[in-house]
Order: sequence, then structure tokens, then C-alpha cells
Amino acid sequence: MKELKKLVEVIARALAEHPDKVDVREIEGQNTCVIELRAAKEDLGKIIGREGRNAHAIRTILNAAATKLRKRAVLEIIE
Amino acid sequence: MSVLEIEEKSLEEAIRVACERLKLPRELLEIEIISKGSSGIFGIVGAKKAKIRVRPKVPSFEHAAERAKEVLSYILEYVNLPTVVEAEARDDHVYLNIVSNGSGLLIGKKGQTLTALQYLVSRIISKELGRNIPVVVDAENYRARREKSLQDLARQLSAKVKRLKKPIATGPMNAQDRRIIHLALKDEPAVKTKSKGEGNMRRVVIYPVRAGGGSSRNNSRNSNR
Repeated sequence: MKELKKLVEVIARALAEHPDKVDVREIEGQNTCVIELRAAKEDLGKIIGREGRNAHAIRTILNAAATKLRKRAVLEIIE
Repeated sequence: MSVLEIEEKSLEEAIRVACERLKLPRELLEIEIISKGSSGIFGIVGAKKAKIRVRPKVPSFEHAAERAKEVLSYILEYVNLPTVVEAEARDDHVYLNIVSNGSGLLIGKKGQTLTALQYLVSRIISKELGRNIPVVVDAENYRARREKSLQDLARQLSAKVKRLKKPIATGPMNAQDRRIIHLALKDEPAVKTKSKGEGNMRRVVIYPVRAGGGSSRNNSRNSNR
């Protein structure tokens, strides 16, 4: 499941002003994989985007990648 | 567009910092030297810092296309599908085509995965280059196929509207899809189109235009958009 974590990390880092403060962890379950994303306070807005558009797009891509691995993935952005 | 002022010990150092901060090679920076700086006597007395003002040069679409291709390939590396990305700088946007044998997955329901990739790549490179760069991400000619099927839908609906003489609405659509419907029926004198609803629920309503019917005809002229 390394890919899913990296996927979120790569996108979030590209959107953030402080890429080094982006921290992504994954909690793996049997079928579901929870990806936790933390970032610098001022970057959270950048990652989430206007009306959550960035976050929505990241989740869409994450779901496509997870489907390939026959998994479900949930992205949690943690404040 | 982001403008930076940087003060460093020497000119070279300042330029190096500028490249690093803007993540751009030196050729793509517009550099204005405010003070050259000097090391003073023995580097102690009267040392003056070098100061420059930099901004990213207006990037060419070729450069944007190249960067967009790199960004998209980098993201796709982690989707666990072998893919190749082709890039092309077009008149008003960057066109990226994903070549792979699992494209269905990358396209998603109604192209939503492609749209998500497109949106993110556009955001990322626009931020990087300091200018809004429209990006279109395509796979297996999906965009062209989608346009054709929307045009077919528009024609079918307009035929139905003409037959029933009643307005009909399409399903909810995004702006690009609605635009295709409006354009497809632009030259049809017997119907007019209008977008209705809010946000994600916005849809196109197709109205019949009665030939010779006074008021409705005037309306069609005024409220075509």
C-alpha cells in the first residue's frame, strides 16, 4: 500500500508552501486503508482548496488508485 | 505573479537563493539588480549586501507543457499503472494525453478521474509558474468522444422538444459539458437553451421556440445565454 501513501504525499507536497511539513501516514485495515494527512497550518487551506475542490480531486484520484489494488481508501485531512 | 526581493552576501548567492525559492532555473527568472553589494575592506568594513528583485518570466506554453507532463507523470507513477504521458502546447491550453492499457480506470465515471487529474495538474503548475495555465488531460481520445456523445444528446433532446413542444432539461453537468450543449444547438432556430440551477446541480434546459409566436420569440433573442 506504499503507493497510496506516496500518491497523496506527492500531490499534497506540490500544493503546499512548506512541502517538508507535509506528513502522511497510513493505517491499513483488511479492506480499507486510511490515509492521514497533516501539514503546516497555513498550508491546510491550500491543500483543501476552495470549497474543498483540491481535496475532492485528491480523493477521486486516490479512489482510482485504490480500486486498482482492490482496496478502499479514505483520506483524512487532520487539523 | 510573485515578486521576490532577496538580499544576500553576493550577487551569485542571491540569484541562487532566488532560483531555489521559486523552484525555477535561472533562465526563467527576470532579475533586476538593486544593489550589487561589495565586500568592503577585508570583508569587514563597509560590507554591503547585494539586493535583487526577481519575478518568474512569463513562461512559454512549451515550457508549461513540459512541466505539466513531468508533474502528471510523477503523480501517475504512484497509481500503479504503467503509463506514458504525451504533452502538446496548444493555442490557449496545455494538452496532455495519457497512454496506458488501463485507461478506463484513469478516466473514471463520466471522466471524473481525468477531470480531477486535470484540475490538480493545472493548479500545481499554475502555482509554480505564477500564472494561470489551463490544462486538458485526456486518455484514449475520451474528450473528443465525450464531446461527440454530448452533441448527439443535444440533437436528440432538441428533436424531442420540437415534437412535444415542451421544455426538457438535461442531467446535471459541469460548465464544459454545458458549453458543448449550448454550442451544439446554437444554430437551431426552433429551440433555445438556457442554464438553470446552482453549483453542481446546474443543467441545461432546452425550450421550444414557437414560429411567429410574438413574446416567446423575443425572449429567445434576449435570453439565449
